[in-house]
Amino acid sequence: MNTFVQRFSTTGALSEARKAKALAADDEEFSDAAWGSEAGFGNIANGVPTFAVPAVPDPSAFLRLHTDDHADPSCRIKIQHGTTTLAFRYKGGVIVAVDSRATAGSYIASGTVKKVIEINPYLLGTMAGGAADCQYWETYLGIHCRLHELRNRERISVSAASKYLSNLVYSYKGMGLSMGTMICGWDKTGPAVFYVDSDGTRLKGDLFSVGSGSTHAYGVLDQGYHWDLSDEEAQELGRRSIYAAGHRDAFSGNTCNLYHIKQDGWHFLGNFDISKMHYEGPGDVPGSFGKGYGYDIRVEGRSSANPPPAAPTTTVTA
Amino acid sequence: MSRSYDRALTVFSPDGHLFQVTLTATNRNQLIRVIYRWNTLAKRSARVGVRGKDVVVLGVEKKSVLQLQDPRTVRKVVMLDDHVCLAFAGLTADGRVLIDKARIECQSHRLTVEDPVTVEYITKHIAGIKQIHEKYTQSGGVRPFGISTLIVGFDPDDTRPRLYQTEPSGIYSAWKANAIGRSSKTVREFLEKNHKDDLSREETIKLTVKSLLEVVQTGAKNIEISVMESYGKVTNLDLPEIEAIVAGIEREKEAEAERKRSRLAATAAGQAAMSSRADEGASGTPGQ
Amino acid sequence: METSFAITGKGYVIVAADTTAARSIVKMKTDEDKIKTLSEHLVMAYSGEPGDTLQFAEYVSRNIRLYAIRNLYALRPAAAAAWIRRALATSLRSRKPYSVNLLLGGYDETEHAPKLYWVDYLGTMDEVPFAAHGYGSYFALSLLDRYHDPSASLEEGLATLKRCIDEVSKRLVVSPGTYKVKIVDKDGVREVEL
Repeated sequence: MNTFVQRFSTTGALSEARKAKALAADDEEFSDAAWGSEAGFGNIANGVPTFAVPAVPDPSAFLRLHTDDHADPSCRIKIQHGTTTLAFRYKGGVIVAVDSRATAGSYIASGTVKKVIEINPYLLGTMAGGAADCQYWETYLGIHCRLHELRNRERISVSAASKYLSNLVYSYKGMGLSMGTMICGWDKTGPAVFYVDSDGTRLKGDLFSVGSGSTHAYGVLDQGYHWDLSDEEAQELGRRSIYAAGHRDAFSGNTCNLYHIKQDGWHFLGNFDISKMHYEGPGDVPGSFGKGYGYDIRVEGRSSANPPPAAPTTTVTA
Repeated sequence: MSRSYDRALTVFSPDGHLFQVTLTATNRNQLIRVIYRWNTLAKRSARVGVRGKDVVVLGVEKKSVLQLQDPRTVRKVVMLDDHVCLAFAGLTADGRVLIDKARIECQSHRLTVEDPVTVEYITKHIAGIKQIHEKYTQSGGVRPFGISTLIVGFDPDDTRPRLYQTEPSGIYSAWKANAIGRSSKTVREFLEKNHKDDLSREETIKLTVKSLLEVVQTGAKNIEISVMESYGKVTNLDLPEIEAIVAGIEREKEAEAERKRSRLAATAAGQAAMSSRADEGASGTPGQ
Repeated sequence: METSFAITGKGYVIVAADTTAARSIVKMKTDEDKIKTLSEHLVMAYSGEPGDTLQFAEYVSRNIRLYAIRNLYALRPAAAAAWIRRALATSLRSRKPYSVNLLLGGYDETEHAPKLYWVDYLGTMDEVPFAAHGYGSYFALSLLDRYHDPSASLEEGLATLKRCIDEVSKRLVVSPGTYKVKIVDKDGVREVEL
């Protein structure tokens, strides 16, 4: 409380110190960074990223040393890696679906992770890779989206928001950030999905899936996807695809969180247990067929056996 | 910019005098007064911006170019980006610097958020630069930008024309029509009387020319008109087109004057007739 | 794998680049445009480290545009290429260099001639009649040594490009599926379907 008062007061010792510091840092005194679009990258006050990195010559090597559980199973920090997330755009908006498993090595650290980050009522971000990195930077992105809104008197476009994030992570490239995320939302241009990862890649597209289970999700998603899906079909497709990944990928599973973004913002549609979906289906929800997704359940009673037709029972007459 | 900057200002007044101002808090105000005086000095020419229904027009009074000067190097209307156009009045040297900052910001904005700037954004940015410069005048080293600007354009994904004005102090505001520079008050008053909402393209251009003619005596050859019709579509009218518009306006004025004259003549005639009748009446009465 | 080609002909230069954006074994996108239009008569195909490519391409594109707005005329291809090469060379000596390979295709309105520059991430630049980057270059360069004709008509040029693409599709293990093709000539930049 007091620190806040001190920080923003214009009198008192602290503010004098601040003024002195400002005078000392005089080379860029007339920089108009505060006005530029470059204002507030990484740090709101300075306009340039100043997030602390470890005070070692090579921060990424340092991080790798302590986080690489492949090379050293007893490493100090285990970063959550396995995941399946997906998002796609269709005529009725954007569907975002994710699993909820967090693994640290072969250990399931949690089965109730929230992998969709609600940036603001119109923007969602998904989480794959380092959970902390995603959570921190996407929340941080939320701050900037709000500032953009206040400065420009209109909501930030999905394209601009994703670009903020991509520029941000790009400025940390090579320092060990690990994130693969989809920034989804609805803006002036309609529904939009952008893929952003810690390499600095940023792709605009209709359909993305990220994480160790993404290949499994793609298998179902690509086959069922087309632009003119109905809302029910789209929701079912998102759910079914996450189920597929949760079922096949050891590092994904537990439950599926489903979101739908429409013109008026995102809606949370529910949390679906993957085992339950396997045996009984998603329950009484739009798009559901009321049957388990599991292969055995789907094909129950069908068989590939193709015996020759039984010979007609002809009565043998002597 | 850094502290190596000389705190003693060297400032030229429009008539070539040299001001040496060492900045302190007190003579800062003096300096600002000097600059504001420049803005009211009749040294500069007029710029007009008019917003129509789906078009926005900038008109400037061109100073007549000296015989040996290349007119292309004297520009008062410049593009900041594909969709934003700016006219400024005041110290040309300051304008150049400010315009360059604005142009960089336009590209920088595209680089950081992909979208082009909105007209309001770049206006606010320009006003912000001016404001910072004004603020720093207190601690010395920088003097305010001695220019006013009119900024016109279209926002991306939008069809509404925009018109903004910035002042040396860093104030900015949106307008339906406005004037800066020489006799801006006269022009603004003219615009206040004659501006209507939902002007068509032709009406908007005509109003711009007409308002400039209020203060430009030399006619078409000293008027420059830029028309922005939609996102990124800017045309500069050439001399014959402007001449045609000026001629049209003059014809109208002529016709108006003619009507007025004939009306006056008619009333005069009526009055004459009446008075003559009265006279007749008077004279008709036989003096008995 | 990323592949890009470019060939000059009579009054034009054709630039082609594959359209896949891949991450590990997954194609994230199959219609990504990796050819940036820098000015009315200049395009740039880029490939290399993901992230770097786009950041560098946009940095270049904004600066070329800024130059055009400031000076009312865009840089000529030779000047633009020199500037871009210099940007890469400066970056190479920095803490975090851009790993980006480029093909710059332009039309010089003053000389009335197409221009093609091959630039790699080390800042090497050369003006060439044809060029390629990526695994595709191992197949295409010899092919172009054999078939390229500097005075070829546009149709012939496109046919030669088709040969390159077909050869790569036939022989390269992980060959890209689709290509984006852009032509620069006196009329500006346009995209064509192959």
